[in-house]
Amino acid sequence: MGRPGLNRRQLLGGLGGLSVASGFGFAALGTGADALASGADARVRYWNLFSGGDGSNMIAMLDAFRAANPDIAVKDSTLQWGSPFYTKLAMAAAGNRAPDLGVMHLGRVTGFAPGRLLDPWDVGLLAEYGVREQDYNPTLWKRGVIDGELYALPLDIHVQLCFYRKDVLKKAGLLGSDGRIVPVTSTDEWFDVLKEAKRATKKGLQTIGLWNSDQNFQWWFFVAFYTQLGGTWFNAAKTEVAFDTDKAVQVLEFLRRHVTDGYSNPGFGGPASAEQFINGSPFVWEGNWSVPVYSGAKLDYGATPLPPVFGRQATHAESHSFVLPHQSDRGGATNEAAHRLAAYVVQHARQWAAGGHIPAYTPTLSTAAYKKLDPQSEYVSAMDHQATEPKVWFAGSTGILAQRVGPIVVSSTMGSAKPEAAADRMKKTLTQLLATKNPMDGKTAAEGGAA
Amino acid sequence: MAASAHTIAAPARAKTAAGSATLRRKQGFQHGGWFVAPFLLLFALFVIWPLLRGVYLSFTDANITGEGASFVGLDNYREALNDPLVWDSLGHSAYFTLLVVPCITVLAFLLAMLAHHIERGKWLWRLCFFAPFLLPSTVAANLWQWLFNPGTGMINHVFGTETPWLTDKSYAMLAIVITTLWWTVGFSFLLYLAALQGIPGHLYEAAKLDGANAWHRMVHITLPMLRSITGLVIALQVLASLQIFDQAVVMTDFLPGPEGSTRTFVQYTLEEGFTSYRVGYASAISVIFFVIIAAVAFARMWLLRNREETAR
Repeated sequence: MGRPGLNRRQLLGGLGGLSVASGFGFAALGTGADALASGADARVRYWNLFSGGDGSNMIAMLDAFRAANPDIAVKDSTLQWGSPFYTKLAMAAAGNRAPDLGVMHLGRVTGFAPGRLLDPWDVGLLAEYGVREQDYNPTLWKRGVIDGELYALPLDIHVQLCFYRKDVLKKAGLLGSDGRIVPVTSTDEWFDVLKEAKRATKKGLQTIGLWNSDQNFQWWFFVAFYTQLGGTWFNAAKTEVAFDTDKAVQVLEFLRRHVTDGYSNPGFGGPASAEQFINGSPFVWEGNWSVPVYSGAKLDYGATPLPPVFGRQATHAESHSFVLPHQSDRGGATNEAAHRLAAYVVQHARQWAAGGHIPAYTPTLSTAAYKKLDPQSEYVSAMDHQATEPKVWFAGSTGILAQRVGPIVVSSTMGSAKPEAAADRMKKTLTQLLATKNPMDGKTAAEGGAA
Repeated sequence: MAASAHTIAAPARAKTAAGSATLRRKQGFQHGGWFVAPFLLLFALFVIWPLLRGVYLSFTDANITGEGASFVGLDNYREALNDPLVWDSLGHSAYFTLLVVPCITVLAFLLAMLAHHIERGKWLWRLCFFAPFLLPSTVAANLWQWLFNPGTGMINHVFGTETPWLTDKSYAMLAIVITTLWWTVGFSFLLYLAALQGIPGHLYEAAKLDGANAWHRMVHITLPMLRSITGLVIALQVLASLQIFDQAVVMTDFLPGPEGSTRTFVQYTLEEGFTSYRVGYASAISVIFFVIIAAVAFARMWLLRNREETAR
């Protein structure tokens, strides 16, 4: 009783599923055929992870490339940002179904099995299309070089910034004659600034948005200030942890003090930081990708790199970079077209800069058009003092290091762990990760050769 | 004489009966077997095979690409037992289960009683209580993420509070529990409602004639008659809650929650497999989790069988 009905339903369901699946199959064939039918000599399949404002800027740059290069068809696909993207890219490269061009965060490249899942760039070919090493900040270029080969071609750097409301700071007397925030060179000066700013802040608003409870932001801020103190992570051979817990404690105490002194409200510890800033909170520490948001909200604001409170400039930076996912038969017209596309986008990144990112191609930075961008030109110096994660397989944007260590920084900033205890836990975690083998090649960071 | 004839005849009759039963079973398979074959095929392909493959991978150091894996014996299991995040995330899944199961059971029962006894607009109540269950988990989770937003969310606004619901480790899991209750109580509510409707009315009439008041009727008729459905609700909820994943992940923006406080076991498995690319290790911890879930399911079966036996 009832059983045949159940079976019939399953049978129908199965048939329905098959027809839907075959529909997708034909749809996929269709898109392939479209690109082939366009009369182009080469077709570049390009995977990226840009949505929102970045997504539309990237599409605009691609359209410009298409107009300038009618012989190259670009088939771009935007995939979900973060881990899902890297998973798909790894599996596609392993299954020899990799796209011709991809985007990755520079910090993730070391862990992505260069030589196995990634193919190196042909530097000569790039130079032919106008992109050379000397057009880059040397530190940035070298981050993409592994075992002497270039595996990542940076498009931008994106940095953590100190956004400030000019209207509030003016009231507080913290705005210089140039219309920018007064310079800050020590933690005491910084907290004095916050004290003055707090007086000029409307009731119900916090003085500074710090993303206190966000593991990524807290980790990025930690990287910035730890670098300001000259802290290191590992020895040169990557065999020993060189993490300095005393310096770490200084940073953790500094971050924590924003909460204990009442400048940052843990109630607004997440995205609410940005809302508070829009509502009149004088400061927020945020990624440069917030520039279009605040400009769109018509705020009177400025943005500088994170204040050098420990005496030395350094602000956290990551970089979107182009990579060549591994193809066993890479080469020929398609590969050349991929090089040409990447070189074109790198050189025509003014559109990209409007999204807040700092173009990696340094000739762009000195153009009048870029200098006119506000507040972009105010924080462009960040290119010269990037604080980055160590060059190891487990580092990089939303990678394992951030996932393991980020929550520990948060626990200190939020007050559920003492800075000393948190610093010890960070060191322990770093030790554990350093000993862990990279699943991609079975080597630890010491054996990994990320030189 | 009659007795002996009976003793002789009986095995023969039994034999024929047994024969026709086998025949029926055979014929039954011929018809039914083909009907279930597509299901069995898919089940084998998408459940049994991955399960076996997962067990195999758990003894290797396989990465996401599936290439170059070598056999590592029990290394992954040894590492898992010493991995603080395994215990942390297991603890979070268990904590969630402990909070959700009693709440959902009581709530579903109360709502079912309400919907059963209310006279006017019966359909409306049933719809209201059951409707959230029809939402996809991401929709429910996003909805409540907005409601819990400290600055602009409705919950803090209504209560005049500034509770950092999803960004403070003391509240985050609670917020996920509240969301889950709202979202899934409808299913258990429906089970209870059906069971309530199945209790024969004459029991209540007889009790009333004997002078039993509403409380007595509830304690001596309703609750005992619902005992088996309560067992079912609890068992299903325990198994579902241990596997908590979607709402926690969506509500914390795909991160492990404030200070890692909402990182559930399934989420940790996913992290190891798809962020760290350590598929061998992820397989080992998922096998461990499979054993735990299976143990809970078997424990439930065993308890139920014992109860049935005592009832007999």
